Order: sequence, then C-alpha cells, then structure tokens
Amino acid sequence: MKKLVTPAFLMVLVILVVAEVIARLFFAQDISGRFAYGYDPQAGFSERRDGTVKLFRAGGRRFHPQAFSRHRPPDTYRIMVIGDSVPRGPSFKQAYPWLLREDLQQRQVKAECLNLALPGYGARRCQVVLTKALEFEPSLIIIHVNDTNKWEDEREWRRSQEFQGWHPRHWLMKVFIFRRLYEAKQEKVFWSLVPEEIRLKGAVRDADAQVAASKDPAEIAARIRLAQEKMVENVALVRRQRLPLLLISQCRLEKEPGQPPYLNDYGLDALCAALTGPGVYHLAMREVFRGSDFATYFADTGHLKPAGHQLLAQTICRKILTEQAHFGLNGLKVAAEKEGPPAPHY
Amino acid sequence: MSFISWQYLLFLPLFFVLYWALSGKRRLLLLVAASYVFYAFWDVRFLALVMTTTVVDFLCALSLGGHRPAPFKVLLLSLAPAAWTGVCYVFLPSSGLSPWVMGLAAGLGLLFFATHEALWAWGGESRRRYFLLLSVCFCLAILGFFKYFNFFVESARTLLTAAGLQPGPVLLKIILPIGISFYTFQSLGYVFDVYRGISPACEDLLTFAAFDAFFPQMVSGPIERGRRLIPQLAAARPFQPLYLQDGLSLILVGFFKKVFVADNCAVLTNYVFAPGTPLNGYWAVLGVVAFAFQIYGDFSGYTDIARGSAKMLGIDLVENFRFPYLARNPSDFWSRWHISLSNWFRDYLYIPLGGNRESRWQTLRNLGVTLLLAGLWHGASWIFVLWGAYHGALLIAYHFPPLNLLAGKEDRFSGRDLIAVPLMWLLILVGWAIFRSANLPQLLGWFSALGHWQTSLALPWWSSCGWLVFHTAPLILLQLLTLKYHHESGLRHLPWPVKGLVYLLLVLLVVSSSEQDREFIYFQF
Repeated sequence: MKKLVTPAFLMVLVILVVAEVIARLFFAQDISGRFAYGYDPQAGFSERRDGTVKLFRAGGRRFHPQAFSRHRPPDTYRIMVIGDSVPRGPSFKQAYPWLLREDLQQRQVKAECLNLALPGYGARRCQVVLTKALEFEPSLIIIHVNDTNKWEDEREWRRSQEFQGWHPRHWLMKVFIFRRLYEAKQEKVFWSLVPEEIRLKGAVRDADAQVAASKDPAEIAARIRLAQEKMVENVALVRRQRLPLLLISQCRLEKEPGQPPYLNDYGLDALCAALTGPGVYHLAMREVFRGSDFATYFADTGHLKPAGHQLLAQTICRKILTEQAHFGLNGLKVAAEKEGPPAPHY
Repeated sequence: MSFISWQYLLFLPLFFVLYWALSGKRRLLLLVAASYVFYAFWDVRFLALVMTTTVVDFLCALSLGGHRPAPFKVLLLSLAPAAWTGVCYVFLPSSGLSPWVMGLAAGLGLLFFATHEALWAWGGESRRRYFLLLSVCFCLAILGFFKYFNFFVESARTLLTAAGLQPGPVLLKIILPIGISFYTFQSLGYVFDVYRGISPACEDLLTFAAFDAFFPQMVSGPIERGRRLIPQLAAARPFQPLYLQDGLSLILVGFFKKVFVADNCAVLTNYVFAPGTPLNGYWAVLGVVAFAFQIYGDFSGYTDIARGSAKMLGIDLVENFRFPYLARNPSDFWSRWHISLSNWFRDYLYIPLGGNRESRWQTLRNLGVTLLLAGLWHGASWIFVLWGAYHGALLIAYHFPPLNLLAGKEDRFSGRDLIAVPLMWLLILVGWAIFRSANLPQLLGWFSALGHWQTSLALPWWSSCGWLVFHTAPLILLQLLTLKYHHESGLRHLPWPVKGLVYLLLVLLVVSSSEQDREFIYFQF
C-alpha cells in the first residue's frame, strides 16, 4: 500500500483536501447555497440567536450588508424592497430604499427600509426572496416589476438543477472547489471569450446557450407567461399575509435617431395596473420621470443615477404619507379580498 | 462505453480489482467478458461482427500455422456469431435483429466452415495462401460492407448518372459499427504475421479473443501487433504498484487532452466548419488551428487513456503519438502521428508493394497508393481520399528539391528545423482543413476565406483567439516539459514536487471543463 501512494499523488490529495476543508470550515456561511443561484431561500440571510437577522453577500445573492431584528419593533414601519439592480442602486446609501427611510424619518415616521434587491433577479427569483422576507414581519412590501431578467431567472434555475442528486455523473461536482472552478470557467472564460453566436451553436449543455438559443417565438411567449404567472403569485402571496404591496413598474430609456429620448414600459404598466386592487398599489416609473431631464436621472437605459433614486424615494414617500391608511402606516391591516388577484391583460 | 463517461469511471476500478484478484484462465475470461460488455454499451448487435473476426482469424491463423482444429470445433465456432444474434433476437428484442439476420449469420458461418474444411484438401504453400485469402476476404468483406458499401454505390451511381444512365436508388441504411476499422486491421495484421512466420499462431481461443477485443484499444487503437500483445495477455504477471501509478498518470494526461484541450477547441472548430458560417481569413486560420489541436487532443488523449487503462492491467500498448507537430517533413510526421496505423500500412501495404526497393518512380507510386488507401481508411468519403492524396503528394514532393533539403537528422534538431518545422506545420494545417471539411464546396469556401481579411465579414475573432490560447497553452507547456524525455505523456521522469503540481493543474483543468460530453472523433473510423 505504501508503494501505491506516491509523494506526488499524496501532494495533490492533500492540497485538494485541505482546500476543501478550508472552504467548508472557514467560509461555510459564504458558500452556503452557492450553487442554488438564488433559488436557496436561506442564502444571504443569517438569523442570529440574539434575534437579529443579517443580510450578507453569499449563496449567489449579493445583498447590501444590513441588519435588523427578526421581530419588527412595535412602533416601527418596516418596508422591504424586492427587485433587481434598479432598486439595488449604485451603492447602499445612494439607492432609494435608504433615501426613502431618510425621508420618512425626517417626517417623524420611525421607519426601516430594507433593500433586498438583487441584480439580475426577475419575478421567479424575487418570489424566493419574498417568501423569506415575509417571515420578518414587514409593514409594506415594494416589488419592482421588470421584463429584462426572465432569461437570467431561467438560466440560473437550470444551473441550479444541473448537478442535483447523487447520480455518479454528479459526484465530482459535490466537491466545492471543483464546482466553483467549473463555474468560474463557465462564467469568466466561456461566457466572456466566446461570442454568443458560437456559444449558441457549439455549447449544447450550457444553460445560458440553451436559454438564449430558444429564439422560437412560442418559447419566448412561454417565458414571458411564466414571469407573469410568478408576478401574479407574488401578489397573491403578499395579499394572503394581508400586507400592503406597492408594485413599481420599471421602464427603459429609449433613444432613436432623429427623435427625443422617451420612456418605454414594455407593457409593464398595464400588467401592474391589472394586478392592483385592495392592498395592492401601483407606481409607474414612467410616470415618475415623465417630462424630466432623463440625463439627470438615468445612468443608462434602465438604471438610475443617485438623483433618480432621490426622486423615486420622494415620490414613494409622498404616496405613503398621502395614503397612510392604505399603506398601513397607522398600524392598520389591509383586508384581503376573498377572490384572487385579477388576471393580467394586455 | 466511452472513456469519458461516468460508466467507465466506475467500470475501470471495478474491473481492475477483479482482474488482479483472479489469475490464469479466469483472468482472461474476465477480460474477454469485460471487453464484450464494454463494446456492448454501444451496440450489442455488433458483437457478432467482433466474434466473426475473432473466429475467422483465429481458425485461419491456426491453419496457417499448420494446426488443424477438429471439424466439430470449427463448426461450433463458426456458428457462434449466429448464436449471438439468436440470443439478441430472443432476449433483447429491442436490438431489432430479425430471423433473417440470424439466418444470414448462420449461412455465413456454414460457408466459412465449408471453405475452411475444403481448403485443408490442398497441400503446402497453396493451402497457406488460400487460408490467408479466406481471412482477408472475410474481414475485408465485413469492413467493406459496413463501412464502404454506400460510398461505392453512391459513387458508382454518380458516375453512371454522369454517363447519361439513370440508376435506381440502392442505398442501404447501414450503421457503421464502432471501431470496425481498428479491430479488423489489428486482426488482419496478426494473420499476415502468422503467414509470414513472424508470429506464431495463437492456440488458445480465449487469449486470441482477448487480443481481438481488448477493451482499452479495441475501438480506436492503437492498432497492436499479435506478437506484442498476445504474449502479454497470456503471461501470468503479479501486480506491481508501478502499473497503477503509470496507468493513472497516463489516464489523467489523456483526460486533460480530451476534455480540456480537444472539447474546448471543438467549440471554435464546429463553428468555423458549420455550413453557412460567414468566414474571413482570421476565422479560417483560427478554425483550422483549433481543429489541429482538437484532433490531436482528441486522438492522442484517447490513446493515453487506452494506454493508461492497459498499463493498470500490466500491459504495455504501443506508443501512437510522438510530438507530431514538431515533424520536419511528411515522412517524419507519419512516424509521429498515429504511429500504429502508419506502421501497419508500411508493413502490410507499402513494403509488400515494393517499398523503396524498386526504382524511384515505383517508390513514389507505392507512397501515393499507400497514402491514398490510408486516407480512405479514415472514412468512406472522397474528402478523406483527397486528404490521403494530399499527404501522398507531400511525401512525393519532399523527395525532390528544394523540399528534400529540409530533411534533418532523426533525433537532432538543427538550424534548418527552424524553417522545416513551421513549414510542415502549415502543410499539416492545410491537410486538416481538407480533413475537417464536410465536402468539396466547403473546402473551397475555406480556401476562398483566406483571400478575405476584412473584419466586417465575420464575428470579432480576437477574444476567440484568447479562448484558443487559454486551452492550448497548458498542452504546449506540458509538451515542453516532457520533450527532452521523448515521451509526450510520460511524467515519470519529473521530480515529484513538479509532478505533483502538474497532476494538480491537470485535475483542475479537467474538472473546469467537465461539462462537455462529446464522443471521440476517431470512433467514426
């Protein structure tokens, strides 16, 4: 047996084992849910014994680090913002959730506003975050409705399912450092060096290619339908908790040659309007920024500059304060309707 | 069963333990059974063809050696392939075999039996010649039918149509049995050796069956010689730790070449050589360079895994690649690339044709014929014939000035190699462009792309160049590391810390690309 194990083999084995043990022992929290790609409900949430909850960057979720108590203090208005990179903002204190908190506190409302937005998250993955967020006794949920992340949701879902189970072909990928390496190669080398057109033709098993390859209009329609269904489910989920919900429909800045730039909501305003009802309110970003100087507020086609976040925060603050009873600011619960939310129509 | 599969990663260790736990006949029996199981993972029906080749060549070689087996034994063995089709028909209805196939197999078995017995009526050298002919006819008939039937029929039809005739459609739906060219050539080589008296006839059917179907090299070589492999299979060796160490090392290098190098280069190759891809000069070059690394990584990777697997069983398989892209001339290239096939054609075709013993013109003719047939061996397509002809032309051209001036000493690099190696590399690349093209129009498209270097004609190529460098640089470094030991996959000579680092790097690179699940290119040949 001694002769079977050569020093070189032993060296490799030791390095791999040590690396794996270090990753699992010392970075356990950071790697938890790493390969669920946002579909692990617990990823990024650390519930401490002292009753606090910490949000941290882990498990495919790049939360802004924040802390709050698990049970909402009785006199505090707790807002939870769920969405993609738009509400997440350029930095924690430049994003509108923080500015909203400041605005409310200036108006003597003891508020905490948690930014649970994550880049690239569409309705499907927002649902996973929402389900978890509802455990922490929010007073108001704000969900951003977008149409740009349905592919990411789908791709990450497929990736999360890729090495599920204990089939022998998955054994290698149960080793954290192997899986991480495989993932890094895929993202940093494959996706960045190979043009998309080649990826679509050559990489049969690449989840990204699989998703993007579906240029079939029927497939695209099915994806949009799935995103809409998830949105409807999200609304229903909040309504079951008898909580007020504010839907913010996002928009994109369009520029066409020879025409002034304009905002396009791609039908999201209509979708959100169709979902409104008792306890479910709607704010269209297109309306918020209509007629303004877009260059002042928009960093690119969809993301906002700090001034844009400021304006959005002010608008939401005004809406909450003017419709206090609807938003439960007076500690009132909003009665849920017996029937389900209305189906979207376009 | 593919080497790059979870099934093989379970199969090999299990087989390894059982193999060394047994000895003598039981070990051989296990080896044959495992080889058949390995092959049956692709297509259980075609085991009948493997058995046919084994039975025919075993009995013919015995007869060539002057041993006459009992007629009853010959009959029984001749009907074994038919019996296997019967087993498939009864127990594996999904195999789709019909009683007709069973009847055909039985008929062929009886034909062989009758011929075999009849030939014993002849005496002396004539009988030996006829037995050789019987073996060659049977093996080449099987190979010809399964691999070349449609090719020749289609070619004849094209010719007749061009002559103004209207032949009807006669193409058959024939599935190419995997590895048929490899095991047929290996088996035939053995028969030739017995005929020439170079190798003794193997008298043990089990040993010969193991030789014919030895799973590590059965489907894609290296094409072994009976006189090398049969004694190793028959010998009762005790286990040595070195077998495992060297074997695993070779397997790791093989996996690296296949999974990291070949499969990743294939991403570019498949794009460039896909029908309708808009190409410019950059992409044409990128595609063919990627293919050069792909086919090398693919085939030499397979060979390394085969040699490593065999080494774990204490069996040395012949070296098949020796830094082929460092070749200085075509002759040098063929002594470094697919060495076992080159040697086969040299020994059993080129030399019998006269080799270089006759006039210069005849030598050139023999070279041309050999390379043309070597091209055809690779596939039933005119593009492979063209590839063979191209290499034949290169071999001939290097016999004349100025190219013959580039021939250097076998093992010593000199100043003129600075011209000879890059030039040969360029010529090899042109050959790969022919080899990879699906048809002549595509090949012409590739050549015409070399005349257009506008970047607007195709996708940006620069980042893809980075992809290619990323996946080939580790291979080149590995080759530089092993160059001075003249063994491109042997890491044994390296100091253990270096070896450890190389192993670690290879493991990580293989794992990083392990999502690919592609077959080996040479399986189709």
